[in-house]
Amino acid sequence: MSNTTQNFDAVIIGGGHNGLTAATTLARKGHSVCVLERSSVLGGMMSVGGAEAPSFTSRLAHLLYNLNPKVERELGLRLNARNLTTVSLAPNGEHVEIDGGKARMMDGALHPKAVAFATLQTRLQRFATLLSRLSLRTPPKLSGSWTDPETFGELMGLAGIGLGLKGMGKVEMREFLRALLTNVHDLMVDDLDDGPLAGAMAADAVRGSFSGPKAPGTLFSLLYRLGNGANLRAPVGGMASAVAAFEDAAARAGCVIKRQSAVRSVLVQGDRVHGVELDDGTVIHAKAVLSSIGPQATINLAGIQHFDVEIARRAKNLRAKGTAGKLNLLLKARPEFSGLPAPLHQARLLIAPSSDYVEHAFNPVKYGSFSEAPTLEILLPNAHTPETPQTLSAVVGYMPHDPPGGWTDALRTKAERQIMAVLEAYAPGIGDRVQHSELLTPTDIQTETGAAGGHWHHGEMGIDQILNVRPINGMAHYQCGVEGLYLCGASAHPGGDINGAPGRNSALQALKDGAL
Amino acid sequence: MTDTSAARTLEEAVPLGLIPTVFQPRLEALSSAKSWMGWAGYQSAVVIENMEFEYFAIRNQSTLFDVSPMHKYRIQGPDAEAMLNRMMTRDVRKIRPGRVGYTLWCDEEGMVIDDGTLFRFGPDDFRLCCQERMLGWVLDAAWGFDVQVTDESDTISGLSLQGPTSFSILKDAGLDAAAALKPFDLAEIEPGLWISRTGFTGDLGYELWMKNADGLALWDRLWDAARDWGLKAIGFEALNLARIEAGFIAAQVDFQPIHSTLRLGRGRTPLELGFERLVDFEKDHFNGRRALLQQRQKGLRTHLVKIELGGFKPSNGALLYHRKTKEVGHVTSGAWSPTTKRNIALAELKAPYGGQVQDDLWAEIYVHEEGQWDRRLVPVTVQTSPFFSHPRARATPPRPF
Ligand SMILES: Cc1cc2nc3c(=O)[nH]c(=O)nc-3n(C[C@H](O)[C@H](O)[C@H](O)COP(=O)(O)OP(=O)(O)OC[C@H]3O[C@@H](n4cnc5c(N)ncnc54)[C@H](O)[C@@H]3O)c2cc1C
Repeated sequence: MSNTTQNFDAVIIGGGHNGLTAATTLARKGHSVCVLERSSVLGGMMSVGGAEAPSFTSRLAHLLYNLNPKVERELGLRLNARNLTTVSLAPNGEHVEIDGGKARMMDGALHPKAVAFATLQTRLQRFATLLSRLSLRTPPKLSGSWTDPETFGELMGLAGIGLGLKGMGKVEMREFLRALLTNVHDLMVDDLDDGPLAGAMAADAVRGSFSGPKAPGTLFSLLYRLGNGANLRAPVGGMASAVAAFEDAAARAGCVIKRQSAVRSVLVQGDRVHGVELDDGTVIHAKAVLSSIGPQATINLAGIQHFDVEIARRAKNLRAKGTAGKLNLLLKARPEFSGLPAPLHQARLLIAPSSDYVEHAFNPVKYGSFSEAPTLEILLPNAHTPETPQTLSAVVGYMPHDPPGGWTDALRTKAERQIMAVLEAYAPGIGDRVQHSELLTPTDIQTETGAAGGHWHHGEMGIDQILNVRPINGMAHYQCGVEGLYLCGASAHPGGDINGAPGRNSALQALKDGAL
Repeated sequence: MTDTSAARTLEEAVPLGLIPTVFQPRLEALSSAKSWMGWAGYQSAVVIENMEFEYFAIRNQSTLFDVSPMHKYRIQGPDAEAMLNRMMTRDVRKIRPGRVGYTLWCDEEGMVIDDGTLFRFGPDDFRLCCQERMLGWVLDAAWGFDVQVTDESDTISGLSLQGPTSFSILKDAGLDAAAALKPFDLAEIEPGLWISRTGFTGDLGYELWMKNADGLALWDRLWDAARDWGLKAIGFEALNLARIEAGFIAAQVDFQPIHSTLRLGRGRTPLELGFERLVDFEKDHFNGRRALLQQRQKGLRTHLVKIELGGFKPSNGALLYHRKTKEVGHVTSGAWSPTTKRNIALAELKAPYGGQVQDDLWAEIYVHEEGQWDRRLVPVTVQTSPFFSHPRARATPPRPF
């Protein structure tokens, strides 16, 4: 293959779901598109490649809750998924089932704060829906310099116009703008008291972020996640089947997909992209290059000399410290969580018994270490059958991406022991049932996907890195300065999760610019 | 270990006040005006004896001005040329080793950060001299390139030897190898002594660069050689008058370096400062290029131009009018030019004035005479060539005068 030349209208760097979404969007408009994926499997963070144990069909991401409905529709995704409720586990067995705005105890009785919770949910959902209107477009450009201290006010003012908040009423509007900067902890604890219910909301707000629920801006990330209705869906057959659905959509649209094709450089001449060069020397010419990897990695591929000094500095300083890890277990028998009725073993199980617990789980990661009481988001994909082997899929809250001395075998073993101890407290005997286990740290995730810091969103969703400044000022409108070069991954607006809007918006921006 | 530094007073550890340059002992001895100012933390002369004498020495004899306080950044390494070419608006590749280039650099919005002179010692070895402190930004600009940046501001001293007899002095000081230097040439005339044929006066002149330790010896050597050539040590004021005559702009005066502005819109682009010829849109990307291309399309906001005014009263700060009524700009540097006998200035005008519209321009000058203020409107004409320019500035080898 080496030293051959090929031609496409557009080349997409990375075959994660955003890369595939961008590709499909362009191909459906009649353009020739080639997706280049470094790994031997597609899906990126949806399915990190090279699974050692085939039973892990959701090796990394395992749930759909923030997939943009418009993306799903436009791509014609053929997803087969089942809906889930959430159970927030309590150490004393007083678990709470959360189903949309409803909060019930295990005996079916309403949670004592059920009414307050329903009210809060309705309000948050309304805010989230308003916010999500910004998800499907390129954030508006503001004139003037971003070094201007008025910038933030301008941004908020503009967000207000963009969102069409007019019908909202002054008080509600003020509350909304205030909420964007608020921390999730105060809001939850004010209305709900601290416990499994508040803990669940707190954990959902910060999962994947380098922040505890008491950090400002964390309500924003919760609203982001509620933006598409927050219906929890587990793909039947695991996340691998959802990846297959994205691949199928791309293939039907006529995209060429190449695996094991790592891009070594983006070719730039006269301030325009001309294509890419692969690790094996293959040159692929294209009028547009859409990159689903972060700003820094994209700059490095194209060559830093093509970017302004200030933009390169911001890319370098992008906050991207991944904190989410993943534990996958192969089990001899179905685990049993104390006080949890059998059918609810199919729910999403959270170990985040209070917002304070979540905050404490965060603290050690600031210093590169790992909490003895991490938060866990657990799925038991085979819980509906007694068949073995069973699997457990858990997103682990707050693992450092750069522990001092790195992730040594000893440190991994220790971390795994700590996670198992937490699981054991809620599901006694689980440890004895483990046949095989796999722990993926943020460092592993970085190695496998190339995402800076192994970060869930390819860059923290902080108030300084969202909307008009996501991922950084100067690259915030999918454009990168160099003509024909675009960001189309989770680092771009609106952000991460299995969402698809970054890929779709980026493709539409490229079309609007006449880049293809 | 015992702490032998315990006896150091705070003042020894952190010197207060202005820092003397290596030439300060000689300047101090010559100074009758005792008029000093701060320049980048160093003590620098405003006037040594008398501003007029010093100015006429620039134009008729020779002068020494201590330029040691200049910020000097050494940039070395295999990527030095590429890094600087991405930083500067002009094509740095065209500045060959042994040459010096006047250059500007911008932020991402095309606003001038500073101007300065870029000395090229070798293929991979440059020094940037400028007014503004720049280390942090230069390091940002260097990030990702295989270069080493060294701040030489405090280790390298500089003397500016300017005036018609300046080469004669070099010759008598045994530095006649400088004869071969054409304007903007640079050479190591003796080990450790680099001489460039550069300056801020528009006349024949040289700048001499050396390690601090070699400074005083060189000063004395020049001074000894100058006996017949009328050398004068000068301060900032005389030099400033000469630079206005030469039509050179000064940072903080004729434009505001973008990093030192707080208010929106106070920065200026090289195009607005009249340096289109130093902006190379044909070369690869450079900082601010995209913003500058956009401005070139959309049009400039202002024009910095050379003007000549009626009357003889210096026009510093004067407001400019079109048809005597509409305010369209102001003078940034104004002076009566003793050599050309003209009332000259640099001025900033709002576009299109100073650009497409150049007729019917007026300056409002306030004149103070023994307690009486008077206001005059004098005619203004836009000039395209430097007010002062002399063939001797370009003749190589230079002639003795
Ligand atoms: C532990 C963990 C669990 C998660 N769980 C969930 C979840 O349950 N639900 C949810 O909604 N979100 C989850 N997320 C977040 C979500 O998976 C990501 O935000 C999303 O998948 C990012 O998609 P992307 O297409 O933008 O980037 P990625 O999925 O990271 O894709 C980028 C692709 O680019 C490829 N690549 C990199 N460099 C090159 C190169 N030089 N040449 C060619 N290809 C290259 C990579 O191999 C990768 O395939 C999770 C994240 C983590 C870390």
